[in-house]
Amino acid sequence: MIGRNRYKNRIELLQGTLDMLILQTLQWGPHHGYGIVQALRTNSGEVLQVETGSLYPALHRLERQAWVRSEWKQTESNQRAKYYRITAAGKKQLASDLSRWQHMVEVIGAVMHRAPEGEEA
Amino acid sequence: MSVFSRSFAKRKAELDEEIQAHLQMDIQDRKDRGASSEQARAVAMREFGNIALIEEVTRDTWGWVWLERLGQDLKYALRQLRRSPVFTATLVATLTLGLGATAAMFTVVDHVLLRPLPYADSHQLVAINEAGKKGVTGGTPFLDLRQWQQRSHALQEIAFYSSTNHISFLDGTTGSARVIAPQVSANLFAVLGVHPAMGRGFEGQSDGSVLAGEAHNIILSDSVWRTTYGSDPNILGKVVKLNGESYIIVGVMPRDFTFPFGDANPHVWLPKVIGDKDAVRNANITPNYQVIGRLRPNEAFETAESELKVIQSDVVKQYSDPYDRERVTSIKLQRYDDSLVVVGLKKALLALFAASGVLWLIACVNATSLMLARAAARQREIAVRGALGASRWRIVQQLAVEGLVLSALASALGLGLAMLMLKLFEHGLTQQFHIHEKMTPNLTVIGVLAALTIVSALLCSVWPAVVGARASIEPALRQGGPQSSSGVVQYRTRASLVVLQIAMSLILLVGCGLLLRTIYALRHVPLGFRTDHIIVANMTIPSYRFSGHNMTTELYQPLVDRANRIPGVQSASLMTAVPLGTTFKMQFTFSAEGNSAAEIRRREMVSQFRAVGPEMQRVFGFRMFKGRFFNESDTATSQSVVVVNREFARQYLGTNQNLEKILGQSLVNLTKNRHTLVIGILDDERQVSIASQSQPEIEICIPQITPDTLAYQSVEGLSMDLAVRTDRNPSSVIPELRELTRQSSPELSDSTFTTMDQVAEDSYGSQQLAASLLIVFGGSALLVCITGIYGLLAYLVAHRTKELGLRIALGAQRGDVMWLVLRQAGWMLLAGSTLGLILAYMTSLLLRTFLYNITAHDPWTMAAVTALLVGGGLAASSIPARRAAMVDPIEALRTE
Repeated sequence: MIGRNRYKNRIELLQGTLDMLILQTLQWGPHHGYGIVQALRTNSGEVLQVETGSLYPALHRLERQAWVRSEWKQTESNQRAKYYRITAAGKKQLASDLSRWQHMVEVIGAVMHRAPEGEEA
Repeated sequence: MSVFSRSFAKRKAELDEEIQAHLQMDIQDRKDRGASSEQARAVAMREFGNIALIEEVTRDTWGWVWLERLGQDLKYALRQLRRSPVFTATLVATLTLGLGATAAMFTVVDHVLLRPLPYADSHQLVAINEAGKKGVTGGTPFLDLRQWQQRSHALQEIAFYSSTNHISFLDGTTGSARVIAPQVSANLFAVLGVHPAMGRGFEGQSDGSVLAGEAHNIILSDSVWRTTYGSDPNILGKVVKLNGESYIIVGVMPRDFTFPFGDANPHVWLPKVIGDKDAVRNANITPNYQVIGRLRPNEAFETAESELKVIQSDVVKQYSDPYDRERVTSIKLQRYDDSLVVVGLKKALLALFAASGVLWLIACVNATSLMLARAAARQREIAVRGALGASRWRIVQQLAVEGLVLSALASALGLGLAMLMLKLFEHGLTQQFHIHEKMTPNLTVIGVLAALTIVSALLCSVWPAVVGARASIEPALRQGGPQSSSGVVQYRTRASLVVLQIAMSLILLVGCGLLLRTIYALRHVPLGFRTDHIIVANMTIPSYRFSGHNMTTELYQPLVDRANRIPGVQSASLMTAVPLGTTFKMQFTFSAEGNSAAEIRRREMVSQFRAVGPEMQRVFGFRMFKGRFFNESDTATSQSVVVVNREFARQYLGTNQNLEKILGQSLVNLTKNRHTLVIGILDDERQVSIASQSQPEIEICIPQITPDTLAYQSVEGLSMDLAVRTDRNPSSVIPELRELTRQSSPELSDSTFTTMDQVAEDSYGSQQLAASLLIVFGGSALLVCITGIYGLLAYLVAHRTKELGLRIALGAQRGDVMWLVLRQAGWMLLAGSTLGLILAYMTSLLLRTFLYNITAHDPWTMAAVTALLVGGGLAASSIPARRAAMVDPIEALRTE
C-alpha cells in the first residue's frame, strides 16, 4: 500500500513536466519506452533518470488522450518492441505545454531573482 | 463479458511484453558495454523496480480496473460460499423466504392497485355519485346529471352509462358468445380519451345522449371482434343479433380497452338513447346511470368536489318527495381508479402486503446477524488482507459482493417461491381480489425484487463489512484469536437483532392466531340450513329464446322434473340465488307513501328477494319458525302466497313479540290484481354471508310466476340456480346435470357447477385466505426467529468455552452453567416478546376487517402465541445450554 502511494505521488509531482519531456522526445521520431529513457538521459547530459514506474503509466495515459499512438515493430537488434509516435493532437499539446512551462519559468525566475527590498538601502 | 475479459487479458499480456522488451534491451546494452550476463540482468532488474506494481499502476490508467477487481471479488465470494455450505444454505433459505413472500404479495398488489387504466390521463377521471342519509345511491337520474353537465366548470365533460353484469348472447360465426352489453352515452369514449380502432363511436348531442337514429348500432371490443368474428376486416356495417335483436356494427374498440374496468367478460357497447322515463324523477321507473367525468387539466379534485356539492344543493330542491330528497343531499366524488377497489379490500390487501414486508425484514435482520457472526470469524483474515495492503474500501467492497451474490441467489429462488405461492393461493386470491388474468410476476415485480435484493444485500453485508473493516489491524493479528472485548460488542449487537426478530415474529404470529380463531368461529356458526351433498348449477338464462313463452312451464318445470329423475338425486329445486350465493341479488323495498312511524320504518327496510321452488326445503333442510313453506298445491291457479323470514317479520312489525301476526297479511302483488298472502315465517339463517346476521327476506313461489307477473323478466329471465341434493358424491352428478341443462337450451351448457360446501367456504374466503397466508408468514417467521436464537447462543457457547471450562474446573455446578446460557435466552425472549406485544397491539387493528367474533386485542390469543414463541425459543436454546454444561474443563483449558 505504502509502496504504491510513493509512485503515485511522484507521478503527480512530475506529471506535467514528464508528459512534456516524453512528447518532446517523440518529436524527433518514434521511440519505445527504453529508447525514451535513454534519449532523455543522453539529452540531459546524464542528469535526468526517468523512473520506469512513472514512464509507463505516463505513456499509457498519453495514448488514452490520443496524444501518442503505438505500434509493435522490430528494433535493429531484432527485438520486438512497442513504438510510440506523436500525433497531431500531441504536437498541439506539446506546444501549449511548452509555452505554459516557459511562462512558469519566467514567473518563478522573476520571483527568485528579485533583489530583496529595503535590505540594501 | 467474456469478450471483454479476453481483450483485457490481451492488453495485460501486451503490457507484460512491452516491459520485458524494455528489460531485454537494457540487459543487452549492459552486456554490450562488457558486463557479465548475470550482472547485467541483476542491475537492469534493480533499476527497473517492482514490475508487478508498475504494471498495476499502469493498468490503473486504463480506467477499467474496477471490473477486474469485481471479477476477482466474485470468484472469491463464490469460493467462500462453497467452503461453508451450512452457512450459505441457512442464509439463502432465510432470504428466499423473505423475498419470495414479498414478491408474491407485491404481484397481487400490482394487479389490484397499481394497474394502469387503459384510458388517456386516467388520473383526471372521476366517478360521481349522489349520496345522502342512506349512503351512496345506486345511480343517478338523467335530470340530475344533466344539471352537473350544464353547470360544472371544473369538469371538462361528463359521460354516463347504465352498468350491468347480466350476460347477453351475441350470435357470431362460431355459435353464440356470452358478452356484457352496457349502454353508454355518446361522449363516453371521448371522456375516456379512447377512439375506436375501426369505424366510429356513437353520435350524440352535447348532453351525451345518443341520437335516436343510432339506437340499433353496436360497438365491439377487440376481443369480441377477434374471437367471435375471426378478426373480419370488413366487419363494419354488418348486422348481428344480440339477444335476438338486430344491431349494425359501427365500430371496434382498440386492443386492451375495457370498460367498465376490471370485468373479465368480453364486452360490446350499445348506445343509450334518452327516453320519456328519463324526463321524470320517479324512484320506480326512472333509469339510473353511473356517471364518469373528466377534470379539466390543472383543475384540483377538491375544486370539482365543492363545485358539484353546490350544484347538488340546487338539484335536491327539485325533488318533491321528502324521503327521496334525503337520499341525494350530497355528492360523493372519487377518482375513477380509487372507485374500482373497495376500501375494505384495499386495506386488507395492504395489511397482508405489510405482513409479507415484516417477514422480509425479519429475514434481513437474521441475515445481517449471520453475516455479523461470519465477519467476526473472519476478522483475522480481514486483518491479514489489510496488512498486505488492501484498502478499507476494498475490503468493504469484497464483503458487499459476497452479500450481493447471496441475495442474487436468494432472489432467483425467491422468484420461484413467489410463483409457487401464487399457484397455491390462486383460487383464494382471484376470488377475493377479483383478478381475472393469470398472475405471473411481471417486469415491475422483477424490478422490485431486484431493488429488494440490492437493499437486502446492502443491509446484510455492508454493516458487518464496515464493522469488520473498522477493526484495527494490529491487535487482531497480535492476539491470533477472537478478541474478548470486540466479541462483547458483537454479541450485544447480535442480541439486539435477535430481540428485534422476536418482536417482529410476534406481530405476525398474533395476526395468525387471531385469524385462526376467526376461522374456527366461522366454521362453527350455525347456518340454519345444510350444505352437504348439494350441487349448485348457476345458469345464465337466454331469455330472448323464450320471448312470448312462459318460462315457468316451458323451461323451469321440465328442468326440475328431469333433474329429479336422475338416479341418486333426492330432490332438486330452483332458486334465483342459493343462500350465500354471490351470482345474483335482488332487493325488495316497500313503496308505501304514508308518514306514520310504522310506514317510515317499513320504507327503510331493504329485504332480500328470492323466487324459490317448493322443493327447496327438502334440498336445504331449513326450519320454519311459524306456518308452512311452499308445497305442490301452490300453483299458478291457486291463491298466491309468499313466505318471509323471522328478521323480516321482526322489522316489519317493529317488535320481537307475536311475529305470527304477519301471517295472512298481503304485502306484495304478483300482478295488479293477484294479491299474495304470507303463509309462513322461515327461521333465521345466514343467507347473505356466514359472518353477517340474518337479513330480512321475502320469497315468492316459482310455479306461481306467470309472464304477466311484475318483474317477470328480472326474476326468471336473468339468472337461476338449480340446487340438487344427492345420495352419492355430489360432483359425480355434474355430467348428467350438464347434459340435462344443454337439452333445455344449448346456452345453458355453459353453466357453472359448484358444491354448496364450496359456496359456503367461499363466503369466508377472505378470512381463509388471510389465515393461510399468515400461517405461512408467521410459521416462516417463527422458524427464522428460532434459528436466530439458536445460532446466537451456539456462537456464545463456542466463544466462551474456555471461560465455561474454567468455571466448571473451579467448582461451578453443571446446572449453574446451563442456567447461565438459558438466562441469556430468557432475557432476549422477554425483551422481544414485550416489544412484540406492544407492536402487535398497535398493528393487529389493521386486521379488523377480517376478524369475526373476536377482538383485535384478544388477550388469550396474545398469551397463547407468546407462549408458543417463548417455548420454541427456550427449546432451541436448550441445545447450546446442554452443550455448555457438557464442556470438559480439561479439554477446554488445554487449548489455552
